[in-house]
Amino acid sequence: MSNTPHILIIDDEVQIQRALRTILTEKQFQVSTASRGEDGLALAAANLPDLIILDLGLPDMDGVEVCSRLREWTQTPIIILSVRDSERQKVAALDRGADDYLTKPFSIEELLARVRVALRHSAHMQGGQNKIVTAGPITVDLAWHLVKRGEEEVKLTGTEYKLLAYLASNRGRVLTHQSILTHVWGPADADHTEYLRVYMRQLRKKLESDPERPQYILTEPGIGYRFIADE
Amino acid sequence: MSRFWQYILALLFLSLITGILFVLRDVLETTLIALLYLIPLGIITARWGLVPGVASAVATFFAFNYFFIRPYYSLAVHRPTDVVILIIFLVVAIVISQLVGSAQAGLAAATARERETTQLYELSISLTGLQDDHTIAQILAKQIKAVTYSEYVELSVKGTQPFICKLPDDGEVDRLPDFVIPIEAARGTLGEIRIWRTSLDITSNEKRLLRTFASQGALALERAWLAQAESRARVLEESDQLKSVILSSVSHELRTPLSTIKAAASSLRSGEVNWDSPASTDLIAAIDDEADHLNMLVGNLLDMSRIESGVLKPKREWNILPEIIGSVLARMKNQTTEHKLDILVPENLPLIPVDYVQMEQVFTNLISNSLKYAPANTIVCIRAQVLDDMVHVQLRNQGPQVPPEDMDRIFDKFYRITAADRVTGTGLGLSICKGIIEAHGGRIWAENVPDGLAFNFTVPLTLDGVRSPILPMDTESE
Repeated sequence: MSNTPHILIIDDEVQIQRALRTILTEKQFQVSTASRGEDGLALAAANLPDLIILDLGLPDMDGVEVCSRLREWTQTPIIILSVRDSERQKVAALDRGADDYLTKPFSIEELLARVRVALRHSAHMQGGQNKIVTAGPITVDLAWHLVKRGEEEVKLTGTEYKLLAYLASNRGRVLTHQSILTHVWGPADADHTEYLRVYMRQLRKKLESDPERPQYILTEPGIGYRFIADE
Repeated sequence: MSRFWQYILALLFLSLITGILFVLRDVLETTLIALLYLIPLGIITARWGLVPGVASAVATFFAFNYFFIRPYYSLAVHRPTDVVILIIFLVVAIVISQLVGSAQAGLAAATARERETTQLYELSISLTGLQDDHTIAQILAKQIKAVTYSEYVELSVKGTQPFICKLPDDGEVDRLPDFVIPIEAARGTLGEIRIWRTSLDITSNEKRLLRTFASQGALALERAWLAQAESRARVLEESDQLKSVILSSVSHELRTPLSTIKAAASSLRSGEVNWDSPASTDLIAAIDDEADHLNMLVGNLLDMSRIESGVLKPKREWNILPEIIGSVLARMKNQTTEHKLDILVPENLPLIPVDYVQMEQVFTNLISNSLKYAPANTIVCIRAQVLDDMVHVQLRNQGPQVPPEDMDRIFDKFYRITAADRVTGTGLGLSICKGIIEAHGGRIWAENVPDGLAFNFTVPLTLDGVRSPILPMDTESE
């Protein structure tokens, strides 16, 4: 097996396939493509790609279904590609284990950034967690439960810390409201997005320099949140 | 009262008069008795009509002859004067009867006609202006039932969507109708009226009235159908007009970015432009920007069609308004550099139940509208406050004011005050805002303010009747 990461693209649109293949090959990735969900699943099982780019609208099956079938046996990062306004579908796919999503039309820089984040994240997952996460002036020490802004320690409540720790240990990934609520508050409170809104706001006030225009804890409208950590 | 009883009563009345006169026979003159007899005859004719009157006159003639003309108790007449009296009596009695009777009949006919006219008038008044064929049938059936004293009336209407109107609603009769009349119009039969009634045959007068009713109903039905067809035609015409407006707007709006993309891409491909020159960077940037522009246009059109078809259901959740505004501003930071933004949203604003994404869209559209029209280096101010059970948001800019007559119309789709080819955009932004705010149960309006224009909207603070929740907050530090 070579060192270049292998990316599997499952998308039925020939134009998109062509564009992605050209650009990703140019960036030294190894690329394989499939137009149908079943073919994609077979290719994934045969080639064991390092990353999967998955379109939600496939001719033979729903992308969400492909996502859950993949998650039955592999933790390979999955990036969802979808046309705008299918928040519900994107959330469903993210809840079933996808790592990130991109809305068509997308800029290629954004795609490459997401690909890098996803590949790094999976490397972390394999190589053991990085215990210290930094994002600008913010440092989160997951081992010592310590949060700093610059040199100053930030006092967080229990819930605030749990929230930040979950975001930091999934840096770069999109976390859906439901997954955060389930993880931090427990399954019984999975519908209470208002908790999330309020605590997220407090967290931003304590960490962000301009809480109205956050730089590190980003809102993904209609979907969830994303923590942007340093490279 | 039936004819038979009329005769019996007339006979009894005459017997009574005869009895009285008989008692007074010896004191009264024969001629006076004859005159006195004329009174009951007049009364009978006036009361019961011509035929009983004439019959009574003849009967009285014989009674008079028998009881009061000598020799008594026989029909023989001895004195010539008596013969003259008798003949004069008979002639006068019959003439009176006839005169009174025909006047009576005329009066009765006039009364009947008046009643008919009144009923027709009532019918046509209640049918006036009705556009719904079911209501028309209902009223027609009700009036027919009332004027014919029917037990059960059924109206079957053909039309494009045939239906049957019954009165009473739950009525069901298992025998054939007593009377059936078609509802006829110039174009053919529109339906049928069926009547069941227990007593009496239907008179020719009633039949005539029913036919008139039927033709009134036919007219009303035809008018209603014509009106419906007309309004359908109008809707089609309007949607046709809208379509052409959409097409002209869209073709203009889509062509511009497409032309730019095409020109830039083809010049890059032709090899005329050196890949390393600044020109190529510009061309590539143009392609990128215009593609975003196209994407936005298509998004707007999709949103609008979703609002139009009523599938835009807000996913209302408890949200924080400053967070929504913040994320919009973060996204628009490249476009807002030429203006100063002033955000006055109080920190203690309660959670608001809105769809995050749709609300973002509202702010994006309102802000970009302000940025588009307000001159550079002016202030765009966003403020929010709670008023009763609503949150009231105002977004004011220092751009040009809008003439009062256009104030409501600026939220109409594709409506613009300036010519379409002088401003960019599809003319959909504000109408999308309106659609979203109204789907949230709120209201949106614009107003001129001293130094510019303000957009206002309100959104209810309650979700399914519940006010914003108080959260269980933990305060202890880790």
